[in-house]
Amino acid sequence: MTPLLETRGVWQRFGGLIANSDVSISVGRGEIVGLIGPNGAGKSTLFNLIAGVLPPTQGSIIFDGEDVTALPAAERCQRGIGRTFQVVKSFETMTVIDNVIVGALVRSTVMRDARRKAHEVLEFCGLGPRANVLASDLVPSEKRRLEVARALATEPKLLLLDEVLTGLTPVEAKTGVELVRKVRDTGVTVLMVEHVMEIVMPLVDRAIVLDLGKVLVEGKPADVVRDPKVITAYLGDRHAIGA
Amino acid sequence: MDTAFAERRRRDLIVAVVLAAIAATVPLFVKDVYVQNIMVLTLMWGALSQSWNILSGYCGQISLGHALYFGLGAYTTALLFTKFGVLPWFGMLGGGVISALIAMALGYPCFRLRGHYFVIATIVIAEIGLLLFHNWDWAGAAMGIEIPARGDSWLKFQFPRSKLPYFYFALALACVAWFVTWWLEDSKWGYWWRAVKDNPEAAESLGVVVFNSKMGAAAVSAFLVAIGGSFYAQFVYFIDPESVMGFQFSLLMALPAVLGGIGTLWGPMLGAVILIPLTELTRSYVGGSGRGVDLIVYGGLIIAISLARPQGLIGLFSFKGLAGLFSPKRKEAVR
Repeated sequence: MTPLLETRGVWQRFGGLIANSDVSISVGRGEIVGLIGPNGAGKSTLFNLIAGVLPPTQGSIIFDGEDVTALPAAERCQRGIGRTFQVVKSFETMTVIDNVIVGALVRSTVMRDARRKAHEVLEFCGLGPRANVLASDLVPSEKRRLEVARALATEPKLLLLDEVLTGLTPVEAKTGVELVRKVRDTGVTVLMVEHVMEIVMPLVDRAIVLDLGKVLVEGKPADVVRDPKVITAYLGDRHAIGA
Repeated sequence: MDTAFAERRRRDLIVAVVLAAIAATVPLFVKDVYVQNIMVLTLMWGALSQSWNILSGYCGQISLGHALYFGLGAYTTALLFTKFGVLPWFGMLGGGVISALIAMALGYPCFRLRGHYFVIATIVIAEIGLLLFHNWDWAGAAMGIEIPARGDSWLKFQFPRSKLPYFYFALALACVAWFVTWWLEDSKWGYWWRAVKDNPEAAESLGVVVFNSKMGAAAVSAFLVAIGGSFYAQFVYFIDPESVMGFQFSLLMALPAVLGGIGTLWGPMLGAVILIPLTELTRSYVGGSGRGVDLIVYGGLIIAISLARPQGLIGLFSFKGLAGLFSPKRKEAVR
């Protein structure tokens, strides 16, 4: 079976800075893949290229068997790529339910159906009781959850999660992990950027390590953590001794 | 499913119908022509502000150039009637369509601009329109156009002897503008527009085509404003560039919505009901001597309202809003 997502030789330059160089990765259907790497490794850039915020300088992005490199973000969403933002971008003057309805409208323009769908997604994400609160009144962990809910309402085949677990308390992070697993169990493929190793590694099926804009290593989380290249580039010596 | 929401929508509609019915009976008791004139203007500005609110309130693209569409509506109707004998009803429709098309043509370059740059562009474009009409001889240039009065006629939409037909037309226009807003509020467009206003990048990631949303809002908004302009031309019988396309018209469209509550269903009408009579009354009681006292009073009131309720007066119409006005936390919330 063809992978759900493939990037083929993707480059992204910002002036003299090379954010991504020759990145080729693939994500299979039903997988949870972690994209990790130190700050400035090019993770967020790669995310934006996949979501269609900007076109790559070179290379192509294949989604569900189709070349989507030239498509704008809105159209990629219609094809089934959902995403969250690292810095949350809620619609602050709208209620939580209205935020999610915006996403649901991609699949159904009948308002009653979109509203019902939005309520279902909110329940799924544990935000049901907060439906009629203004998004600006949510606490940070709820806002993260709203990002996920909004993206799920678009019924994505691939969900891109940009550091949704970072900066949460251990309890919040644990419920976050459960949510990601629940999402995968509904048949959605997940590609997630994350910093907190302890949380990510047990969660993902496969990890891809980026460093200086290039793919450094990819494989099973347990192997990746032991890989000497990864340890020197990212995890540090202390972790090597511990492992 | 979501009964509270459906109930609120229904309640809004019922309140509107009741208010419109009450408004329709007012002329039965108020025979004073001066007061009737104020009522016509109030309804007209309410309708215009409601239309402006679609693009600037819901979609967040603040336009201070809507006088252009108001003027285009007025000129289209007046020119078609005086030059070609086309009935104002068709002129009205024509003006609306022309304005909507021009709004989209202008939106094509302008919607790439953000925030203040967009506002400045709208002001400049409306000024260019004003200058063009000033120098366009066929359209009467600076002399303007007089619409010949030929006696009472629904066909020609002229009523030299009575304000009542104008009143009912203005009421109908206000109802249409309100209803269109009500209807759009719970449609795909309504959600798209608010999403675009709050965060275009996030909207795009959720499948919202930001550019098309803005174009749609601009077209609906310009169409309705042009209908108002057509009506105004028929109401005053004489138009020239300054009297239908001047910058003050753009401001007068924005003010009721801003003071009443921008991006809300009821804000523009509420703002118009307070502001327009106030404008007219200050003008006739303290103005008129060229000292501009009326404008000082008017300006002072606007400042007072904006300081007390920066989020619009509409917030007062809920229990929370009333309580908030007297709570010590108010200043903090206002920031």
